[in-house]
Amino acid sequence: MNYIDVSNLVKTFREKGRIIKAVDNISFSVRKGEIFGLLGPNGAGKSTTINILTGLLEKDSGTVRILGCEPEKNWEFVKNSSNVATAYSWLSDVLTVKQNLRVYAKLYGVKSHEQRINELLELFELKNVADRRIIRLSSGENTRAVLCKGLINKPRVLFLDECTVGLDPDIADKTRDIIKDYQKKNDCTILFTSHYMYEVEELCDRIAFMSNGKIMSIDTSSNLKKLIKKHTVEIAVKKNIKLLKDFLKTEGVEIIFEKGSSIVFEVTTEGDKMYKVISKIFHKGFMLSNLHVKGPTLDDIFIKIARGK
Amino acid sequence: MKLYRINALLLKYYYININRIDRIFDIFYWATIDLFVWGFASFYIEQLSDVNVLSILLGGIILWIFVWRSSQDIAVFVLEDFWSRNLYHMFSSPIKTSEHMASVILMGFFRSLATFAFLIIVAFLFYSFNIFIIPVFLLGLSVFLLSMFGWIMGLLVTSFIMRFGQRIQVLAWSVVWVIQPFSCVFYPLSALPAWAAKVAVLMPTTHVFEAMRAAFAGNPVNYTSLWHSLIISVVLFIIMAVFLESSIKKARKTGLLAKGD
Repeated sequence: MNYIDVSNLVKTFREKGRIIKAVDNISFSVRKGEIFGLLGPNGAGKSTTINILTGLLEKDSGTVRILGCEPEKNWEFVKNSSNVATAYSWLSDVLTVKQNLRVYAKLYGVKSHEQRINELLELFELKNVADRRIIRLSSGENTRAVLCKGLINKPRVLFLDECTVGLDPDIADKTRDIIKDYQKKNDCTILFTSHYMYEVEELCDRIAFMSNGKIMSIDTSSNLKKLIKKHTVEIAVKKNIKLLKDFLKTEGVEIIFEKGSSIVFEVTTEGDKMYKVISKIFHKGFMLSNLHVKGPTLDDIFIKIARGK
Repeated sequence: MKLYRINALLLKYYYININRIDRIFDIFYWATIDLFVWGFASFYIEQLSDVNVLSILLGGIILWIFVWRSSQDIAVFVLEDFWSRNLYHMFSSPIKTSEHMASVILMGFFRSLATFAFLIIVAFLFYSFNIFIIPVFLLGLSVFLLSMFGWIMGLLVTSFIMRFGQRIQVLAWSVVWVIQPFSCVFYPLSALPAWAAKVAVLMPTTHVFEAMRAAFAGNPVNYTSLWHSLIISVVLFIIMAVFLESSIKKARKTGLLAKGD
């Protein structure tokens, strides 16, 4: 069953007389218990999409269904069953962490809210700042407080918009573990945006790449990586670097870097070309001191899509 | 409307009040300053004439609190979410506009009552002024009408904030002072020039202060005009509620709620 269904969604803004298509006829579905990533450069339409799904923005056209319901028609059910966390918006900065969570727990009608608040403060290591006002928190603590709010009602659908921005690597790693753990235990559906590719790769079951308001492709990270055929090969030889360079040129590979006895080149995997080139290097008797083959990463896909290649 | 969500926001506004000393200070400071300035001025004027200026001015100041507080608190508590970049979380929560407005109206009313209670004690101690010369029913009706007019102005300002963002936030503090000259708070309707009287007679507040002065002078109170004011207020309140709902819809369209500026 799909917990999020988006079909032909369009959102435009007017700016100085110009019409900007922030979301341009996108469609996707997220299954129950799936973590779905929205990736793309700034201005791609990721946050606009999340803002529409959370009811902060009104769509121009298209349909949105969350938990099988249209949010406008089942406002209360959808809102009580979902939640959102973003690093770009704070909780009320005049209130302490605990006071904020108490207010949101009551807003979402959470039963035994003090127990839930204490669980979350413990989980996100915020116990020591629970009585500190939001304005006095570091950005990392702030982000974690927002995440506590995002999980306060044990949502069945969770929207996470760049929710790990500002966290140090240790806390970011712990946060990802908490998200994974929560998702597993509650079979929660998560729509996730991030600029950190490794994070998306680690968390998301499927990814949609967005650019200029459009979805360019949707797939698993391993399938998306297959879109880029080129691999990067770093090779170092003990001698005859010039001969190796000449050989690579005759094979038609693209040398992208050379220094001393090392050469880095890109070669396609189509027609097993990469394997053929490497085996020829061995057969020609080059004495290798280093060989490193790197496949495409999500970063490469991101850059490719962002640059419209 | 769900009571638990109204309670949640009342709790939030309570926390804002207790966490920020300026919010507590705000309840008493300006109203007390006003009371003293006009109280001493009244003493002086009474030495020069036979008119019971003290009752008229202090009664006006004390009752005006309900317009001022109600209007300002609605707008300022909504602005609080803009200032703390909390608009995103507030409007993505299950809260409805009616619940949001009910909570700010209630909080504004509680704060008005706190100011009112404080002022009637100060006025009694310093000037032996007793607001309860006004019959309790008339006082209750006046408080309701004035508060309601404050809510109408508060909803109007909030609607504009939802349409134009924080750049027009100055209206939150200033709009009631534009209304005051036409509300006949300190002078009778007959004192206004003809063009201003035409405006003033449409204001529900004018009829409340006219009734207050009649009660202080021991003259009969024109209840008919008060009931008319009540009808006008209810109609205006409904119009403003609809206007606010459409302004929030517009804010959802323009992205103001997501951007929070």
